[in-house]
Amino acid sequence: MGEQITFAVAAIGALGFGIGVVFFRDAFRAAVSLIGTLLSVALLFVALYAPFAAAIQVIVYAGAIVVMFLFVIAYLGERGEITTFDRLDRWQVIGWLGVAGLGAFGAIAVLDSTAGPAETAPATTDVGSPASIGDAFLSGHLLAFEVTSLVLLVAAVGAVILAKSAVQGEGGR
Amino acid sequence: MNVPISAYLILSLALLVLGLVGVMRRRNPLMLLLSVELMLNAGNVALIGFSRQWDDPSGQVFALVVMVIAAAEVVIGLGLVVSIFRSRTNLDVDELSSMKG
Repeated sequence: MGEQITFAVAAIGALGFGIGVVFFRDAFRAAVSLIGTLLSVALLFVALYAPFAAAIQVIVYAGAIVVMFLFVIAYLGERGEITTFDRLDRWQVIGWLGVAGLGAFGAIAVLDSTAGPAETAPATTDVGSPASIGDAFLSGHLLAFEVTSLVLLVAAVGAVILAKSAVQGEGGR
Repeated sequence: MNVPISAYLILSLALLVLGLVGVMRRRNPLMLLLSVELMLNAGNVALIGFSRQWDDPSGQVFALVVMVIAAAEVVIGLGLVVSIFRSRTNLDVDELSSMKG
């Protein structure tokens, strides 16, 4: 019963704030709405016995990433969206067909699937604890762990180079 | 578990389609990135749901890797947005034609 209530609250929150992200005209409001979605998803993680992933979700996503979005939105300020032309033009129809097709395909796949255990295994082992996740990372998924650190390094170096060229473009060193 | 895994998967699908609609509708590059974040979160819900269903930490490992990819993507994406649009007046991806062949 408790999980059903938690799921209902988190699902309504995630979808409601997600609609806000997609339909708010103001970039600032959309970014703040994204915080609501991210916190609702973190609540879902808690309901799925994944407390470590929920904590990371709140710290990394709702903390760092959204703050970076808000910073850039404030830095760039209010800019208009021109509506004189759309480069997609009539190809937009194909894009929307792709969206509808992917949604329909996903719905069929979810409702049709019978794979996996019908009954969810009881939560006897603590799969969501930091210890078990760290164990899985360093035993079974060592390559993913190393590639992850490489990706972070490349992203950091790339961000520095982008910022440097932007500063040089404005006449700085 | 009272709530079946399919409920989580349907929610994940709904969030993913919502993010896709956002990518289609929006022309502000910041909004495109926000919608992509929505889609990555939809994927994470499905991954953690599977991890719970099979009682296996691998799904949570995948979800954490996805979070790292999302952070890297946002860093590079926002860096590009700032360096491209700081000298322009309109925040619109359809305005970008300087690399058009």
